[in-house]
Amino acid sequence: MASVEIRDVRKAFGATQVIHGVSIDIADGEFVILVGPSGCGKSTLLRMVAGLENVTGGEIRIGDRVVNDVPPKERDIAMVFQNYALYPHMTVADNMAFSLKLRNAPKSEIEQRVKKAADILGLGHLLDRYPRQLSGGQRQRVAMGRAIVRDPQVFLFDEPLSNLDAKLRVQMRTEIKELHQRLRTTTVYVTHDQIEAMTMADKIVVMHDGIVEQMGAPLELYDRPANMFVAGFIGSPAMNFIKGSIKVNGKAVFKAEGGLELPLATAPAGADGRPAVYGIRPEHFVIDAQNGIPAEVVVVEPTGSETQVFAKLGGQDIVGVFRERVTVGPGDTIPLAPNPELVHLFDAQTGKRL
Amino acid sequence: MIERCSRLARILQVEIPVLVIVLFALAPYAWMVITSFKPNEEIAQWPVAYWPSEGTLKHYRDLLARTTFAGNLLNSFIVAVGAVAVGLLVSVPAAYAFSRFRFPGRRWLMVQFLVVNMFPIVLIIIPLFVLMRSLGLLDTFIGVIAGHSTFAIPFSVWMMTSYMNAIPTELDEAAIMDGASRLQTIRLVILPLVMPGIVTTGIYIFVTSWNEYLFAMMLSGQNVRTVTVALQLFIGEFTVQWGLLTAGGTLVAIPVTILFLLVQRRLVSGLTAGAVKS
Repeated sequence: MASVEIRDVRKAFGATQVIHGVSIDIADGEFVILVGPSGCGKSTLLRMVAGLENVTGGEIRIGDRVVNDVPPKERDIAMVFQNYALYPHMTVADNMAFSLKLRNAPKSEIEQRVKKAADILGLGHLLDRYPRQLSGGQRQRVAMGRAIVRDPQVFLFDEPLSNLDAKLRVQMRTEIKELHQRLRTTTVYVTHDQIEAMTMADKIVVMHDGIVEQMGAPLELYDRPANMFVAGFIGSPAMNFIKGSIKVNGKAVFKAEGGLELPLATAPAGADGRPAVYGIRPEHFVIDAQNGIPAEVVVVEPTGSETQVFAKLGGQDIVGVFRERVTVGPGDTIPLAPNPELVHLFDAQTGKRL
Repeated sequence: MIERCSRLARILQVEIPVLVIVLFALAPYAWMVITSFKPNEEIAQWPVAYWPSEGTLKHYRDLLARTTFAGNLLNSFIVAVGAVAVGLLVSVPAAYAFSRFRFPGRRWLMVQFLVVNMFPIVLIIIPLFVLMRSLGLLDTFIGVIAGHSTFAIPFSVWMMTSYMNAIPTELDEAAIMDGASRLQTIRLVILPLVMPGIVTTGIYIFVTSWNEYLFAMMLSGQNVRTVTVALQLFIGEFTVQWGLLTAGGTLVAIPVTILFLLVQRRLVSGLTAGAVKS
């Protein structure tokens, strides 16, 4: 096992630069998830760590070694691909044994390692099958088995769950997390799904347009997003943003465009009159008949465990999520009170947290 | 009712035209095979005898015993196998490169391979003849094999490239991450998967070479005369030896027909099923 250090890494394809100086420290045994919308450079970054893409600038270290010019086979890392990339002409056992055979490992060792990996993943009864005879989840497990048998320094996962159906995805998510808790191998995992990132990661790196927007523990990103991008990306449904300005008149309030006044617990010093964006997560509204601001309900979506209410608050579209059963219908008025302690303020120009 | 109308339409629009085309294509072959079993008297008989009154193998016996046809068959076989070997040896690595690497001039080269196919081979044959003569390769197996390879390779590269493209690059990457070198990746992962394509391309080259006439005629003489050239010799200025010609034609057609049937089965292949999620 090893740490991974990414120092000011850049990547350009011809004249177009896609990664603009990214630095990430990954501790030994840590589970780090790179998350971001498609085209943000997260997969490219992972492929550079793997050695499948050249590094245009900067430095990647695995352990103590700079690996920029080290071919993939000498980096001692294993990768799980989005579409599994199993060798179709080999059985499950041969797929898993392939890397060991290339290293001329003794037959007894190969057998023992394949068996161990198969036991961990519950593939014991499938060793003689071919990939085409397996279900999607089983194939994904074989792909992980192929990585495990090598006992590498680092695991790389490139959107491993995005080809699976929703139910299986949740199940495999738990399996991968459990696997990491068991093996404690340093893991870098790429996904566009923020729920995967929140549930599995020790550390999340949110990427956007080739830069790192923020990195930190999942709940840190949820509680204190550094900017509007992270605030909008982490959390589902996404955070509500309301434009307006801060007013401090004895007590701090937020004056939204259209005249609506929203409560604030505190305001940054000297912020009176400053244009800003008011961010409130859907789950941080409460229904409060006394202090609530009347909002007109547009759509109600009950999911059973919670109810999502899409409404118009002073002309702005917002969404609220409530754990309790809400009995309102479209056109009704609902008194919504944002919890002022949990409000996020962002600079209107830069989008940075105030 | 609707069913019967569409059934009738199908017969009129599809089945009858297909049948006519098949008959049109097959009739000369059938006539050739039938003629090869007719005694000499019946071949030129008027009114035409459609079916031999008594089948005979005389033409086949004469062909193999009294002419050099057996030797010509062997020559054709050697040339065709040689062309397959040279053609695959060149086109498989070339196709891997075209499929997997992005190098300057890649598209341009691929287009050139198509353009080459558009030239009439008559244009190439005279310079090639001069070239072969100055290299002393006229009437040698190497000369004819080289000639046949030159026009089979461009199309083979196209065929093999599309077979290679059908194999996801993630498989190469997975093998490389597993510690395989580029050559190991090709040998252990790509070649087994592309085998149906290699067989098909190989048969394509074999059939092309086996049926080829112009190059074989120009580049060969007494020593390596192929069947296509030998057959033509049965057509004299004043007489055509129909019996020998049709018997020879039938023998020449047999291996090609068998190979085509083989390709037909190999073409439908689900070998890459299960590799990646489609």
